[in-house]
Amino acid sequence: MTVIEINHLKKSYNPDKLAVNDVSLSIEEGESLGLVGESGCGKSTLARCLLGVERVDGGSITFNEKPLANANRKDLRDYRRNVQTVFQNPTASLNPKLKIKDSLLDPYLQFQNELQLEHFHFTSKQAFVEQLLEIVELPKELGDRYPHELSGGQKQRVTIARAISIEPKLIVLDEPTASLDVLSQGAILELLATLQKSLGMSYLFISHDLAAVYQLCQRIAVMKDGELLDMFQKEDIYNSRRHEYTKELIGIF
Amino acid sequence: MILSIKDLTVSHGEKTIVDKVSLTIDKGEWFALVGQSGSGKTMLSQAIGQLLGPNLSASGSVNYQGANILVRPKTEMNELRGKAISYIFQDYHGSFTPFLTIQQHMDEYLQTHGVKEKQKRNSMIIEALESVGLDDSFVKRYPFQLSGGQLQRASIALALLLEPDILIADEATTALDSVSAHRILSLLQELQQKTGCAILFITHDWRHVVRYADKIAVMKDGKVIETGTKQKLVHQPEHAYTKQLIQAAPTLPMRVREVSKS
Repeated sequence: MTVIEINHLKKSYNPDKLAVNDVSLSIEEGESLGLVGESGCGKSTLARCLLGVERVDGGSITFNEKPLANANRKDLRDYRRNVQTVFQNPTASLNPKLKIKDSLLDPYLQFQNELQLEHFHFTSKQAFVEQLLEIVELPKELGDRYPHELSGGQKQRVTIARAISIEPKLIVLDEPTASLDVLSQGAILELLATLQKSLGMSYLFISHDLAAVYQLCQRIAVMKDGELLDMFQKEDIYNSRRHEYTKELIGIF
Repeated sequence: MILSIKDLTVSHGEKTIVDKVSLTIDKGEWFALVGQSGSGKTMLSQAIGQLLGPNLSASGSVNYQGANILVRPKTEMNELRGKAISYIFQDYHGSFTPFLTIQQHMDEYLQTHGVKEKQKRNSMIIEALESVGLDDSFVKRYPFQLSGGQLQRASIALALLLEPDILIADEATTALDSVSAHRILSLLQELQQKTGCAILFITHDWRHVVRYADKIAVMKDGKVIETGTKQKLVHQPEHAYTKQLIQAAPTLPMRVREVSKS
């Protein structure tokens, strides 16, 4: 089943140039789609449109076969719950005044009345937090700490735990490893792969690092100057029909 | 041998940040210093040019042209920096003064190092910018009018202006996306071959090391734990930590020979 479908999406910040130019793609249930491109190619803008933090200038986004454009409040709330995100900078993603456990509980408390969790069980706040920390391989004691007491890699694990806590259908990962140390980068990629296997959600993994995308994703899309140039199954990465720009990217890694 | 470091130790009060590191860098080679954040690689590179902050102290020796430059007086060091040893840093915005144009930066650099004739300075500036792929329209621009990749090109032009013997590139491409990073590094390689300068290349990304380095040193907790040629470290790493670093960087699989699918 298709989780999300983007059709002919357009977004521009200035009249002469489209930041996202007629991009169409879809993501299937349980699939991870990688979106690769260099700085300024529009990949993050696309993600922001998808998350509803930017208004789109053309085209449509369809979630669970319902177009977002004519979604009512309830549909939008449902959408917000089902599409979660992890950003590049984990420090900016966590409220510095909240203990880790409070950041982790926030999404659940927002949505508890309409949630039917399959993988996690809410018996008490304490137990729920411990469950989340455990699945991202962090020690339980971290729940009582503040973000500044954690390393970058640990903080990114917390934002991942928070994103999966309400069992979304899709997680938009916008350069989740770019600000991390090399050893943490590898560990986070492994964690994301393991979580997808056990929880079954879809990923849109945005990165300039083709090799990282290759490691995590089944399908890869390539963007340049706002346009989608190429899209392929990862097995076909060395196929001669790849776009010239894709070949250039491959040559780098 | 262009630079020889012996038992270099950098400490902050009681705390040792770089612990008795010894390295030699040969003329014209690409020497990669690899390690995680906090391993002390930046401190080591800054000690070489006497760039350490006042609360840090360095001991041991850094020998350049037969003398220990760690104990050079400040004024002599000023002459050496830029002319013999120059730097490119990770934070390209921090490398430029926001209210000076690219030309003003480069002009100041040349004046400081005694290039008297204005015309000569101007032609050197244009030539240097051209060599990094920036045309003369960039001369009058301010740093904020350049992209990250362009700024990093400008800082390479600046660093190579006086043909130094050694260029220290401290995570010079870490803040750039991998496409721009690759372009910058190929450019650096090309310029290295042209000018013959040695590069001390500090990075945490093993993939850059594999592609560009001649020699590699791996640093962990202030110590160099393994050092050798690229061939040796990439194919027969001895230390478990080196293996861990190699495995951490994602890579594409080896290209399988294309089977014709027609």
